[in-house]
Amino acid sequence: MTKHTTSMGGAMLLALALASFPAPARGAIPGVEGPSFSLTARAGFVSTPEGGSIYSWGYADGAGLMQYPGPSLLVDEGDVVTVTLSNELPVNVSIVFPGQQGVTALGGVPGALTSEVEPGGTPVTYQFTAARPGTYQYFTGTDTQLGVEMGLVGALIVRSATAGWAYGHADGAYDREFLVLETEMDPIIHELVETGRIAEVDFTAYRPVYWFLNGRSAPDTMVPAGAQWFPHQPYSCMPMSHPGDRLLVRLINAGRGLHPFHTHGQHMRIIAQDGRLLESAPGAGADLSFLRFTTTVAPGGTEDAIYSWTGDNLGWDVYGHRPGDPLEPGEYALDHGKPFPVIMPDPKDLEPGPYYAGSPFLGVAGYRPPVAGTSPNAHAGYVFMWHSHKEYEMVNNDTPPGGMMTMLIVEHPDVPVMEM
Amino acid sequence: MTRANNEKGRYRMNATNRHLGALLAALAVVVAAGPARAAISAQCPADTDGMDTDGDGNAGNDNVCRHLIASDGYADMADGRLLYVFGFSEILSGEPLDMAVMNHTLSANAPAPTMAFREGQRVYLTLSNAGFMVRPDLFDPHSVHWHGFPNAAPIFDGMPDSTVTIKMDASQPYFYSVVDPGTYLYHCHVEATEHIQMGMVGQLYVQPKQNMLPAGTVLGSFTHRRGQKYGYNDGDGSSRYDVEVALQLDSFDPDFHDASESVQPLPFALMEDRYFLINGRGYPDTVRRGPMPNSFDGQLSQKIDAQVRARRGQRVLLRLSNLSVTEHFTVTLQGIPMHVVGEDARLLRGPTGLDLSYDTTSVTLGGGETADVILDTTGVVPGTYFLYTTNLNFLSNDAEDNGGMMTEVVILG
Ligand SMILES: [Cu+2]
Ligand SMILES: [Cu+2]
Repeated sequence: MTKHTTSMGGAMLLALALASFPAPARGAIPGVEGPSFSLTARAGFVSTPEGGSIYSWGYADGAGLMQYPGPSLLVDEGDVVTVTLSNELPVNVSIVFPGQQGVTALGGVPGALTSEVEPGGTPVTYQFTAARPGTYQYFTGTDTQLGVEMGLVGALIVRSATAGWAYGHADGAYDREFLVLETEMDPIIHELVETGRIAEVDFTAYRPVYWFLNGRSAPDTMVPAGAQWFPHQPYSCMPMSHPGDRLLVRLINAGRGLHPFHTHGQHMRIIAQDGRLLESAPGAGADLSFLRFTTTVAPGGTEDAIYSWTGDNLGWDVYGHRPGDPLEPGEYALDHGKPFPVIMPDPKDLEPGPYYAGSPFLGVAGYRPPVAGTSPNAHAGYVFMWHSHKEYEMVNNDTPPGGMMTMLIVEHPDVPVMEM
Repeated sequence: MTRANNEKGRYRMNATNRHLGALLAALAVVVAAGPARAAISAQCPADTDGMDTDGDGNAGNDNVCRHLIASDGYADMADGRLLYVFGFSEILSGEPLDMAVMNHTLSANAPAPTMAFREGQRVYLTLSNAGFMVRPDLFDPHSVHWHGFPNAAPIFDGMPDSTVTIKMDASQPYFYSVVDPGTYLYHCHVEATEHIQMGMVGQLYVQPKQNMLPAGTVLGSFTHRRGQKYGYNDGDGSSRYDVEVALQLDSFDPDFHDASESVQPLPFALMEDRYFLINGRGYPDTVRRGPMPNSFDGQLSQKIDAQVRARRGQRVLLRLSNLSVTEHFTVTLQGIPMHVVGEDARLLRGPTGLDLSYDTTSVTLGGGETADVILDTTGVVPGTYFLYTTNLNFLSNDAEDNGGMMTEVVILG
């Protein structure tokens, strides 16, 4: 824990100093705007928190660097989407778009699932109409088991015609949206591919030891998007919120394993699966939606969840108000001014975590006030872990903690929410 | 089978030698430490608000106090192998607190004491830390994570990064205003992969206020009778039951436990569970009635059996949960239909009231997932039925076959 703490704080500080990515709009998911994309499959290195560097394949945005995962393709409902794929890898590659209908492929050579691009061969142009809004993924349709393991996978997000709605109904309304794309890696396979020994790859001995959210393992998930020392992993996974915000969590299982994804702090309402609103009839809204505190997305599948932490009904005032104090926006009035129910022990008996500001109250610093510029929780927000509850996936190649994990920070209503 | 029997013998011998050393060391430390350790305390305020929040007709009993203490200990697997574990045991009211650390060294329960509450109760839970007798080199703090508690605040969520956790020989209070019925689970969240694999897991559920309705209250087409219980505030009796049994699925990697006991590097990347458990036991220990003594010092460390018993015609609520750190599990019950009425501590009903409950022959749970399953035994021929994992490779106690994640549902005439 101590080691984890220190490195995360340091990484965060550096990230804040060096982040060079243009800040996305409020709560938007960073990616490449459509409807026309030019992707190139090429190789690069994925870095891991304990200093590893894994040879990988991925889709690059045009002449850019290989990315893990591939660029998030952002399109609008009804767009005619074209994706032109070039290939600098030593093997054939392609793209399939699960959940899209009428996909055409022009150029290249015929493959089992779709047209493929040979190494250095003529590009293939895929085209389809993004008819229905939702969360989807794309990946190589050529030797898919190896290709996806190597990194040839990414998110496709089809925005609904109504801004701020995930689907064509107010049940999908959200204030901020976040991508949570799950993958894993077995570095032995990557080493064999890197050294030209693809023929020796043996998936019967498959054993992943790295687990990723949006292409990074914790604590790197919490380093801002676009940080310069992650040239191939531009995306972070840093959900941020105010009390009462509706977070749209676009969950994608882009690997082959099962990951029971647990959100501390609150249930998720699962409103859609595989790009379809959970509705009993068109226009009915998410009337088949349900609440989960842990959700396992099927490999190749997606889920959209609404998560909203309100702090209601705890039996004490999370702001530490006295009875006469004014209410915060959206505060649960019945707990207003109710005293904290217990006496906390002497700090000498307690092990504080790096996000703990020394008080039980939201936005209130206590005996461990955050230090400007170095604390990972500068405004004494409430911090909730989101992670795979298959906890052996919260490890970076034998070193815990890490892996498939990140933190949600709920900030006090007066504190602006940082977008990273 | 011969191989399994041989292994069983070997493990017993190894275990005896190795664990004897640990016991001697433990005794030495206890004697040396003596009564100086006394910093165990608990906060248990009286219920003086004059309101009857749990709806039982008594305005003075809504505060509920429980006291857990974390330590290490031992548990037996069904093939006879003794495993070193971390876990919680309970300090019962009336126990002398100044003796609690000494009395609860090496007292880990596998699984932890079950926490069952009623909606409307205010729970004051104290966690104390007795340290690890067999690993005096470790100074791990511990926590209680009420997994799934809605709108949690970090201070009582037990996630060490965002709050405080309790050091050795000290006590930390947790508070929960219990307003949402359903099946949850709890575990230590400090160094979660390690502490959960080592056994710091327990069952946790909340019974609904609907149980407290006056007799004769009409719930749709159902009329509430005195003493009738429900999984949720369903409004129609659909989650009613006569018998309630909580079954927690889990699994252990013996190599990890042995490495911990013998102060070796912990095999995180190579973790592979080989004992598949219900309530901390593999079959046939699952159906050994009542608390089970371990073979280390005879403590009743595995207190919760997993046999389900009901009379024909009764409805059984199975509170299923999974706390494995490595596996999803699918369980089936042959001969008795399962009806899933709740998942993750929520009645299966859509936001506009649509019924999302369903009949099934199997339930799949990942780590940290729960399900509430009603068994309707109307017309079921009395006899013994088996609830077991359909991940057939997990029907084993390490090398011994025909065991593992399996238990019995006994229907009496
Ligand atoms: Cu612990
Ligand atoms: Cu948990």
